[in-house]
Amino acid sequence: MLTNLLAIGPELVLTLTVVLVLIADLVIGDRPARRGSLAVLSFAGLAAAAATFFLLPDGGPAAFGGLVSGDGLGVFFRGLFLVAAFFGVAFGALSDEIPVERFGEYAAMLLATTLGMSFLVQSQNLLMILLSLELVSLPSYVLAGFRRGDSRSSEAALKYVLYGAAASGLMLYGFSLLYGMAGTLDLSAIGPALNAKAAGGSVGIRAGIALAALLSLAGFGYKVAAVPFHQWCPDVYEGAPTPVTAFLSVGPKAAGVAALIRFVVIGFGASVATPPAGGLPWPVLLGVLAMATMTLGNLAAIPQDNVKRLLAYSSIAHAGYLLMGIAVGTPDAVQAVAVYLPIYLLMNLGAFLAVMAVRAKTGSETIADYRGLVARSPALSIALAIFLFSLTGLPPLAGFIGKFYLFAAVVKAGTPFFYVLAIVGVLNSVVSLFYYARLVKAMFLEASPDGAPAVLVPVPVGLLLAILAIPTLVLGLWWSPLADLAARAAGIVG
Amino acid sequence: MDLTTNSMLLTWTVFTPAIGLTAILALLALRPLLRLSQQAVDEASRAIGLMASLAAAALGIALWADFDSGTSNLQFIHRFVWMKSWNIEFFIGVDGLSLSMVVLTGVVFLAGAIASLPWWGRLDDHHPHFSKKRVPAYWILFLLLEMGVLGTFASQDFFLFYVFWEVMLLPMYFLIGIWGAPTRKDPDGRTRGGPYAAIKFFLYTLAGSVLMLLALIAVYYASGPATLADGSQAQHTFNLVHLTRQAHDGIFVKAGAILGIPFVHIVFVAMFLGFAIKVPMFPFHTWLPDAHVDAPTPISVILAGILLKTGMYGMFRFNLQIFPTGVVWAAWAIGILGVINIVYGAFVCMAQKDLKKLIAYSSVSHMGFCLLGLAALTPQALTGSVYQMISHGIVSPMLFLLAGVVYDRAHTRDIEGFGGLAQKMPEYTALTGFAFMASLGLPGLAGFVGEVLVFLGAFAAQDGIFRVLVAISALSVIVTAGYYLWTMQRIFLGPFNHRWEHLHDMNWRERLTLYPLAVLTVIMGVWPLPVFDMIRETLNTLLASMPAGIAG
Amino acid sequence: MMDVPVSWYLILAVTLFGIGTVGVLTRRNLLVVLMSLEIMLNGVNLAILAFARHHGDAQGQAAVFIVMAVAAAEVAVGLALAIALFRHEGSVDLDRATRMKG
Repeated sequence: MLTNLLAIGPELVLTLTVVLVLIADLVIGDRPARRGSLAVLSFAGLAAAAATFFLLPDGGPAAFGGLVSGDGLGVFFRGLFLVAAFFGVAFGALSDEIPVERFGEYAAMLLATTLGMSFLVQSQNLLMILLSLELVSLPSYVLAGFRRGDSRSSEAALKYVLYGAAASGLMLYGFSLLYGMAGTLDLSAIGPALNAKAAGGSVGIRAGIALAALLSLAGFGYKVAAVPFHQWCPDVYEGAPTPVTAFLSVGPKAAGVAALIRFVVIGFGASVATPPAGGLPWPVLLGVLAMATMTLGNLAAIPQDNVKRLLAYSSIAHAGYLLMGIAVGTPDAVQAVAVYLPIYLLMNLGAFLAVMAVRAKTGSETIADYRGLVARSPALSIALAIFLFSLTGLPPLAGFIGKFYLFAAVVKAGTPFFYVLAIVGVLNSVVSLFYYARLVKAMFLEASPDGAPAVLVPVPVGLLLAILAIPTLVLGLWWSPLADLAARAAGIVG
Repeated sequence: MDLTTNSMLLTWTVFTPAIGLTAILALLALRPLLRLSQQAVDEASRAIGLMASLAAAALGIALWADFDSGTSNLQFIHRFVWMKSWNIEFFIGVDGLSLSMVVLTGVVFLAGAIASLPWWGRLDDHHPHFSKKRVPAYWILFLLLEMGVLGTFASQDFFLFYVFWEVMLLPMYFLIGIWGAPTRKDPDGRTRGGPYAAIKFFLYTLAGSVLMLLALIAVYYASGPATLADGSQAQHTFNLVHLTRQAHDGIFVKAGAILGIPFVHIVFVAMFLGFAIKVPMFPFHTWLPDAHVDAPTPISVILAGILLKTGMYGMFRFNLQIFPTGVVWAAWAIGILGVINIVYGAFVCMAQKDLKKLIAYSSVSHMGFCLLGLAALTPQALTGSVYQMISHGIVSPMLFLLAGVVYDRAHTRDIEGFGGLAQKMPEYTALTGFAFMASLGLPGLAGFVGEVLVFLGAFAAQDGIFRVLVAISALSVIVTAGYYLWTMQRIFLGPFNHRWEHLHDMNWRERLTLYPLAVLTVIMGVWPLPVFDMIRETLNTLLASMPAGIAG
Repeated sequence: MMDVPVSWYLILAVTLFGIGTVGVLTRRNLLVVLMSLEIMLNGVNLAILAFARHHGDAQGQAAVFIVMAVAAAEVAVGLALAIALFRHEGSVDLDRATRMKG
């Protein structure tokens, strides 16, 4: 019993933190130090959760009768989510888009989402996956609609809810079919059972498995914002408060990617190296989805004028690159994904923080209002340029290393389909330069519009920018620690 | 060949600009503390930038002085393991070819640095000079670019090469975009200007680079075991020396086909495209005229003088060194494309009205000679190709500096709009005439040696098609002479256009850059032996790896 | 007593699921959409129960409890947002929620 509890130690601490934050919010009431103390409380909770990682039972057994797995992939991502949550709370505390009196709710919802994400990446049971996915989604819906007075925020949340509920409905139906055919909800048993059925069975059975798998993909695809389940993404990212958008773009996305890896690569055992699992050509299927996702994301970002929408499409494109890695499915590819996501977290959070800072002082999210920013706020412009060029994947920035790992894994796969995928991937990177450079061009190469306000960055924001920018620079030249952590995360595959 | 670290001189050369860059950054950071005025910071940045360029150039010469030209082995090696998980090493070293490029880089950047100093005449309010604009940032980017270029030439590890190669792109984007011409609408209503040229340059070269990235990864996974700098064994390698040896042992010939095309061929093409865009080879050259026209003078100098050579260098170092069979396979294509460069460039020059655009297209034309020389694969042709790279790297900075002279004064580059300037600016006329003659290949000046060697070498090539190509190229030399002489006539000769009454002759800053380059041009024209000595062994080694019977 | 074949339950489940999906995709009234979502999820519940009965596995039945709770939570959030939409637009017609485009 104790082993089981220790295995989910971080999550227990997180739950406690959520409760404490809500209680503290009531107790502190309307005092001025409210936001700060709640933020500190959240940070303390996150730190405590991080500390319990050392208490995790060794060897990563499945806890609670196989519901959750303590393996390397899960541990890696749970750690990553604590980092994402830290930044999410910090951004919310520093932003004027989150009303001060509701900061307690904000922090609680965010931590609850983190809780869901942590369970999602450990889940080995279909029901657990569903439950965790919903625990990620429901607070996210609330967070997206946090600015009640802003109709865009409510609309964003509404679209999020409808889309998300429908997607999880589809996924649930797929799960029910999987359950029906395999007779169990346990992921590690479903894979072999379905493979056996597919090998011996009729066309009907194979079609049934295919249908079930495709429907299940709906849920993961929606969370990751992959084509064709991406349509909620631009509206939600644009309408939600910027700290929420920042968190959504890294947290749930990474959770969805990890869950997809567990579902496809571990559950079905699908990889380019193994024969079709469950009768489905997973590598080709995911590869095609990847190409569609990155191409649509990059092309749709080009005409955007709203920075948050532009970054939304950019994050869709990045989901495409990640899907490329999942399609390959080899340990190298999973390691590549595990290297990419922390770097992506840094870059994306940094970019959104800069957008948040500009919005705070100018009230605008359009590219036109970024013109001449280098004269009004040089440090901010340079930081944002670093994040944008890193997102493009230019050496010697960290984003290049992430892309390098992914492309190397794809090229190593060695089949004609994957060579084509690699070429599509690199060409997409070039296309992405076009719209990232639009923002850089506005900031550096154009003059400020008349009467544009100076954008003074408050010290805490500047500090966070530095905390995000420095690793982006350093990891581009020296990334061994990250690579080692990622290798351990990928160790369970294959 | 012993690949252990044996000298720090090259490392100092490559990273001297970085030291200058850091110094300027420190200056900017300490500015509030030291209460420095903008003027003081600007002057200090210029001084630091100038000193760093001077130091890099001097170190380059020092490398040359210490260079042993009797061997093609790498010298001034500095090597240590950088990222063990990917067997990436920080491995720099030079052979004759790299050294020639390193020295050229030092010289060209020094000329560019001097040309970046403020305009000494009276400044016109309508035409603010770029040298007064955001000075510290300019020098930081300038030095970053220099480091990138030096690193590219010195790298002997494929991954390190790629990183330095990409490091060159960002500073160029900002240098052209911020300090170049402002955005304008040309007569057809299209947007043109610095930012447009900058992004075009960035997109084109990045597209080529990412293909090179895929080739890089493919080569890595196809490579065999090698020893790292710390003595440990590695399953694959990025080390160029080891890759060359493995390639000659035939490891890539046995590698699996990609998309049904033999490994060697498709990787060769991918790398070639990456470099060809930089050369620039037709039809990927269209970024060059835009970039040159809208870049500030020193940046044009650097672009034409050295950046284009990185493309050719890449072809020598990677395509030729690692995949010699690939060059043989593609020789026809490279030769023909080279000749298209030569002829097309020359003819388009005839139609140009903008002086800088004319010089840009003449660069396209001259780089065609380098391509032709590479394709011919004879000792003379290769020597000519490299010599042309170096001589063009001296002459075209001269040309762009001269264009800058008149632009700084007249604020226009329209050839037709001038006339009879010889009467007002005799010294300038003489220098321009000299530079034009050098560029068209007048015997006794630098351009001749490279061109004639390429012609002789290509003519003697095994494959008869090269004789035809040489004939066509030789005819286009006439066109080259035509457009240069015609341009001279339009700008300098004939009746004096009184619109330019106020122009005055050259000032000392311009003389300081132009005369040394002119002297170098003459020296390279009459005494090519030092350069030949430097590159001979390297080229011999490259040719020795050719399949038998190819090298003439 | 005659045993109802599993397939009948499944057909009913598919039908419910289909009705729900069509409702979500085509209806304009937000409340009707939320109801359709509920129908979708209940269709799935029925399917899970049928399979659970078929395999004789109690896990499926436990799963249905969880799904019902999740569906309730989802619709609660949805209704709260319907109130927000009504406050802004004066109606729960989804066509009015179109401030963001592209």
